[in-house]
Amino acid sequence: MKILVCFKTVPDLEMLSEEDWAVDSNLAVDVSFVKNILNCFDESALEMTLKLSEYSESFNESLTLTALTIGDKKAEMFLKTLYALKFQKAVRIENNEDVRFFPEVIAAVIAQYVEKINNQDVVVLGRQSGEGDNAKTPLLVAEMLGWPCITQVINIEPSQEERLRVTSMVEGGTLIQVIDTPCVLSVGNAPVSYLRVPTLKDKMSYGKRAIEVLNINVFNIASLLNKCYHEYQLIGLEKISNHRAGILIEGATTAEKAKKLYDHYLKERLEKQ
Amino acid sequence: MSLTREQIVEGLVKILGSDKVITDKQVLQESSIDRFRKYEDVCGVYTQPLPAAVVYAESTEEIAAVLKFANDNTINIVPRTGRSATEGGLETVVENSVVLDGSRMNKILNVDTYNMMVTCQCGVSLEVLDDMLREQGYTTAHSPQSKPLAQMGGLVATRSIGQLSTLYGGIEDMVVGMETVFPNGEITRIKNVPRRATGPDIRHVIIGNEGALCYITEVTVKIFKYRPENNIFLGYTLESMKTGFEILREVMVEGYRPSVARLYDPEDGEYYFSHFAEGKCVLVFMVEGPKAIAEVSAKEIENIVQKHAECEKVNSQLIKTWFENLNWDPKKIAEEIDEIAQTQNIGFTTEVSGNWDVIYDIYEACCNRVREEIPDITMMGGHSSHSYMNGTNMYFMYYYNLVDITPEEEITKYHYPINKIIVEETIKAGGSMVHHHGVGKHRTHWIKEEYTSSYYILETLKKAFDPNGIMNMGTIIPIKK
Repeated sequence: MKILVCFKTVPDLEMLSEEDWAVDSNLAVDVSFVKNILNCFDESALEMTLKLSEYSESFNESLTLTALTIGDKKAEMFLKTLYALKFQKAVRIENNEDVRFFPEVIAAVIAQYVEKINNQDVVVLGRQSGEGDNAKTPLLVAEMLGWPCITQVINIEPSQEERLRVTSMVEGGTLIQVIDTPCVLSVGNAPVSYLRVPTLKDKMSYGKRAIEVLNINVFNIASLLNKCYHEYQLIGLEKISNHRAGILIEGATTAEKAKKLYDHYLKERLEKQ
Repeated sequence: MSLTREQIVEGLVKILGSDKVITDKQVLQESSIDRFRKYEDVCGVYTQPLPAAVVYAESTEEIAAVLKFANDNTINIVPRTGRSATEGGLETVVENSVVLDGSRMNKILNVDTYNMMVTCQCGVSLEVLDDMLREQGYTTAHSPQSKPLAQMGGLVATRSIGQLSTLYGGIEDMVVGMETVFPNGEITRIKNVPRRATGPDIRHVIIGNEGALCYITEVTVKIFKYRPENNIFLGYTLESMKTGFEILREVMVEGYRPSVARLYDPEDGEYYFSHFAEGKCVLVFMVEGPKAIAEVSAKEIENIVQKHAECEKVNSQLIKTWFENLNWDPKKIAEEIDEIAQTQNIGFTTEVSGNWDVIYDIYEACCNRVREEIPDITMMGGHSSHSYMNGTNMYFMYYYNLVDITPEEEITKYHYPINKIIVEETIKAGGSMVHHHGVGKHRTHWIKEEYTSSYYILETLKKAFDPNGIMNMGTIIPIKK
């Protein structure tokens, strides 16, 4: 089974101080001074796929894993890590355009890669990135490929006969489905949230393979990109105030304060559980 | 005859009252270790003897009473405040120990902006203290990575050092005077004066004692003017650590005193600097103080660096952003626990020091050996972060995957062998096996090699001040078996 995991690297916005959130004349916040990290949902998708690959071996089925990202050269250190973690192929699609808010463009590139360059059985993506927050790319990829899409995926396991057992969050619970491929899986808020770490030996043995670099211009997206530039325009940025309300519990002693906390705020919640 | 657990608790309740004596199992388990055994904590497996109780003292007199009770009944006391220890200093290795917690002694007693010092109880949080001082235009200038967690008593007890040490020194350079309680209940005060030549400087018997001689209840430290508007950040990428050490040396020897002077190797730097220095070493300076001095220092340090062709200057905002994200707070620690549990990858540090003529050899030998000899290693690197006229430190960082082990084997399979390599290579080269975390309980094995003939002085101090052996046994000096 061939599985493509698409991931995005994003600036670590937690590193920005209050004063760094200044909007410049181009309506942009300068994030060039912070390091890049894996988008959190994509990190879950990558680790989930590695776990699936391990489990599949016990089913005597081997997976072919490809990692793909669209971006500049900064993403290559992540691709090298994925090579060291035994991904068979690492692909970077060179792009210096700002496509954060154009998921149609990203989805078109991924769909064309799967259709024309490297056929796959499964495409796994994080549901959204903290940068664009569009939450559209997996659905658009599925639509363009004409494949079914499962959203809010939190676990993937092997099943028999080229099928996958997929767990996803649905309203009020979780849903487990055994599905046929091809399919698109959109990874949500999964319990697996960190990517494993390769050993130095694996970095030396596997991490130095050449990354396949394709230019975004080889994909047929010029007219789509133009359309996006004309249809969407950023007209303003406003800071959201995130102040949280707080209550000071008054009391003569610690015990009195603890009792008030329990009686007024905790008791009812604990009883519901 | 020694007391039973129940008798110990009963005695403590008589002294302190029941609300200050905690015997809850989970509290005892979590209080039996520090961050050296963080993997056991992640797994919820606690292998150390559980203390009989954790007690919270609220005054110097209560500390004295508890110590006297322990001394009379030979009960091991583990002193603690902020609980940020990393070297096993808080482990309760002796059966029925009592953890004596001073974190409720958290009053700032006097801010003296004329004589430039602040007096506070041992449980005052460094971050709280420094934030309060900064509002008034002053600072302690002490800024260890543990600043959001650490408290004043523990910082002095472990000979802590901060990120601004190259200008302001370690805590030993900042302490003016102290109040201390010895195991027999004797309360002593060292008065606050700028200098004295009245015999040996007895502050240094107490600073760095790691709770193995006495309990620090109050400290007075220097304060400095806080002028962040004058801070200038400088950063460079370069190819080799050897060149980096040479530049650090030249900056120090020529008499410049940046507050921050750091040199990262590519492995350690990858975590912080991968967005602009992938595969390269990074040299960082921050200069501060009066504007004119800061500007001249920055200019002259730049001149020194520019003589080395391999150094490329980077945008100073990159360094400022890095510096603002350096400290560890409770949120980062909680995230780390989750990450370890998921990835089964864990990291630790070992910090040593050496003179200029050996520091590169120590760095190279330790990195090479750990990479070659330790299984499942995922990262081995380090940085120099505190420089002096004679040499500098190396702060080794290492991570490994935990493969086929029980929680307690994490230490024997990985952590001890790495510590052993670093300590042995450092001592062999003539360096010091501990730069600023303290000896704790896991580097005591090499204490005699570290001290050589001066071990006589250390051992005599222990015998003199703690004749019954009740103060944090197994810390600094190993327990005789």
